Amino acid sequence: MVDETLGIVDDTSINNMTFKQASEELELIVRSLEGNQLELEESLKLYEKGVSLLKILQGKLSEAQQKVTVLLGEIEPESDDSVDTHLS
Amino acid sequence: MAEALSVSQALNLAKASLNKVSATIVGEVSELSDKPGYKAVYFTLTDESSALSCLMWRNSFSAAGVDIKQGKLVEVSGIFTVYAAKGRMNFDVKTIKAAGEGDLRLKVAKLAKKLEAEGLMEASRKKPLPAFPAAIAVVTSPRGKAIHDVLRTLRRRFPYAEALVCGVLVEGAGAAASIIQGLQAAQQSKAELILLVRGGGSYEDLMPFNDEKLARAIAASSLPVVTGIGHEPDNSIADMVADIRASTPTAAAERVVPNSQELASALDRLQASMTHLLTNKLDQARAKYERLLERPVFTNSAHFFAAYDILLEGASLRLTQAIPHRLAADEAFIKSTGSKLSGLASRLILPYQNSIALNAAQLESLSPLKVLSRGYSIVFDEKDHVIDSVDKVDLDQRISIRFADGIISGNVADKQHAQLKKAGDKD
Repeated sequence: MVDETLGIVDDTSINNMTFKQASEELELIVRSLEGNQLELEESLKLYEKGVSLLKILQGKLSEAQQKVTVLLGEIEPESDDSVDTHLS
Repeated sequence: MAEALSVSQALNLAKASLNKVSATIVGEVSELSDKPGYKAVYFTLTDESSALSCLMWRNSFSAAGVDIKQGKLVEVSGIFTVYAAKGRMNFDVKTIKAAGEGDLRLKVAKLAKKLEAEGLMEASRKKPLPAFPAAIAVVTSPRGKAIHDVLRTLRRRFPYAEALVCGVLVEGAGAAASIIQGLQAAQQSKAELILLVRGGGSYEDLMPFNDEKLARAIAASSLPVVTGIGHEPDNSIADMVADIRASTPTAAAERVVPNSQELASALDRLQASMTHLLTNKLDQARAKYERLLERPVFTNSAHFFAAYDILLEGASLRLTQAIPHRLAADEAFIKSTGSKLSGLASRLILPYQNSIALNAAQLESLSPLKVLSRGYSIVFDEKDHVIDSVDKVDLDQRISIRFADGIISGNVADKQHAQLKKAGDKD
């Protein structure tokens, strides 16, 4: 469990992680810390990586701009009297 | 008896009797007049040969919630009446519903049963949704509100997810096939799930979503499919076979992505808890270290080692005394043992020396060469086998004779059995 966690987290790969991967990784780290079975050095190392993962995740959330790609058809612009379908 | 009536009286008479005639009528809508501000909706129902003017009070019409159009088949119930001002007969519609719908619903229900029996709606078939999808395919009409509702909702909640739009037909004859094509395009993309959505419409409008082929395509999809189709209270078959059914396009979009704001606060909480955990860990380590410092080995090291010091000194003293004494004893022992061994060795080999000399003399006398030197010889055939009987040679056979100092060869000229018994030589 511990080795697994340490094995997956590797500084160079953190930046290339998807949101899902990073959040799963963070989850593992927090669980390991909660387990309280680790040496202090390992705990520190995990904490550091947890903080980097948090930064990545927070960055992805705050900086994300929706990207829309059209695979089929052509989207018509919305008409002016637009109302959310769940409100109408 | 027949007294002439005024026009009004006559029409009232007609009205009174017509009002008693209630009926349920099926016909096609033509000449529809549905203008806001008018108290009633006016339309004409026709069949191949006849036409009937109908009116329906607006409040009843709105309550019925039927979307009528020219050419649409409807079933109305009501009474006949007369509009006195024009002397016209009307049909006063109390209830209205789309005709033919009954048949459609029955067909759809049958198909639903069939697919359910095949297990296409089993809960165990439903695929789980990815937690944080990086790409979401939206299969819907590229026109209308649904696509924009979905994009807006995804953008508001989780802009991290890329939206891949598959614009398809959602109404009419080719719609089911077009939607199936959209689902396939979505599965070949990098999407992690599919939103299949459509804005509200009548039961007939939503019929493509009750298509059997589409239902099978949804069930077979490699990606989870989430539907948000119309506002109908009824489930379409697409809803039933989908992995998750939401009531509207917006609800479907909300269902598949987390809320960024909530997520951000969850991350903050996670950070706090991680820091808390580490602080605890550090405190624990510090406490352990401090407890160690209080142990006698650190607080009073001289006292702690005193016992060892004494032990060591005693041992060292005994060592320095013991070693020289022991060495001298060992040396004397080795010396005496050495001389005893060398004396023993010369006595041990004597018997062997004597027996070897005896054996050598015996060996010499037993050698066949020694026998030959006494005047005997050995006869061999061509194959160097020893011939020890007259019976083992033929006349003219080549033989060789071995003497002590050489060999001679020749052919047998004559052979004869000995008359006298052998004198037993050649051991």
